[in-house]
Amino acid sequence: MPSDLTRRPSPFGTTRPVPTPTPLPRDTHDWTGDMVAVARLRDRASFMRLYDHFMPRLCLYLRGLGNPEVVAEDLAQEALLRLWQRAAMYDPQQGAVSTWLFRIGRNLHIDRVRREPGWVQVLEEAGVANEEELARPFSTAEDYAEHVHLQRRIEELPAVQARLMRMSYFEAKSHQEIADELGMPLGTVKSHLRRAFLRLQGQVRGQS
Amino acid sequence: MNPHHHLDPSTLVSYAAGALAVEVAVVAATHLETCPHCRTRVQDAERIGGQLVEHQQPALPATLRQADLRAAMLERLDAPLPPPGAPTPKTAPYGDDDRLPAPLHPYFGASYRALKWRWMAPGVHCIRAADTKTGTLLMLKIGPGRSMPVHSHGGTELTQILRGAYHDALGHFAPGDVADLGSDVEHQPVTVPGAACICVSALDAPLRFPGWLARRLQPLFKL
Repeated sequence: MPSDLTRRPSPFGTTRPVPTPTPLPRDTHDWTGDMVAVARLRDRASFMRLYDHFMPRLCLYLRGLGNPEVVAEDLAQEALLRLWQRAAMYDPQQGAVSTWLFRIGRNLHIDRVRREPGWVQVLEEAGVANEEELARPFSTAEDYAEHVHLQRRIEELPAVQARLMRMSYFEAKSHQEIADELGMPLGTVKSHLRRAFLRLQGQVRGQS
Repeated sequence: MNPHHHLDPSTLVSYAAGALAVEVAVVAATHLETCPHCRTRVQDAERIGGQLVEHQQPALPATLRQADLRAAMLERLDAPLPPPGAPTPKTAPYGDDDRLPAPLHPYFGASYRALKWRWMAPGVHCIRAADTKTGTLLMLKIGPGRSMPVHSHGGTELTQILRGAYHDALGHFAPGDVADLGSDVEHQPVTVPGAACICVSALDAPLRFPGWLARRLQPLFKL
């Protein structure tokens, strides 16, 4: 066992060892304990820990999408307030806190910039997994291990794939916009994104 | 319904990132309604997004402004929780024979019977969504046993089959299936005999028809 397993203990029990062959990637932290404390106990200290970590990151994300600083801050505040208000709906088996916040932040942004009627409703409904999907038998520890593995795979992506993923996620650029900006054929953009996703997804879903 | 043709991973990534043209996103969402496989993959793509956001390094020193925002947040925590919204009733997709998939309602209404089809070419009717900004979103009804002109696409074509079926060089496409085609694909769909094929297509660039017949058809399609 590597020695890097002494993470901050969860308030709801002991940390379980996570089998990782090499040291943890930087800055990987399991927020499940804090999130569960917010959900069940309305614990403000836990919430503010989440806030302090995610607020600047959400701001950075939302600014990257083209929002002015003040708007990005407003949207990030709103996203975190929703986390507080809807914490009871949080199900650790359905995904990491970061996934949930990403979804809320993205939807708030889209809602603001696109006056299209269908978009956010569509995204929110598609984001709701049905019951059979929720019944995936992941323990929190396995989930966290996946999280760690995913982070490592992201860090190991080839440079081009990493760049295109960033242009998609952080700048919300379409395939065509990426192709135009980089002078790359559209088909090449798609195949890079396809390979990047399959590479990362192998880790997200275990061995598939 | 168990789809056999799925969204391309590059489409799933952009869907989760909120980076698809809205027309394409609407067709993708129509497919997701019927496809547990792709829904699971969207969740994976969202998890990747969450991870990317979390691992950015915001190298900002704490500012006065941030302290203000933090204090404002602490105050807002005391506000009473909003009442839980009524859970949106999840109608079984395609459960009611006349009901269009929910993502299409803002553009085409909720009922197949109420659709106002317009003649486009022999055996082909269409309805084009009026209020989209960037690309083209249209429903197509193609009579049974019809052969569409050979065409390719300037950009992306995403087509979800709602009723009937067609086949082309890429395979057999039946209700629930999605054809996620890039600009490198040239195809000639032929609808199967029996029932008309109804599908919804998004294009983010004009279609291209090679050949003299197709060139004469192009103005009819007005795409």
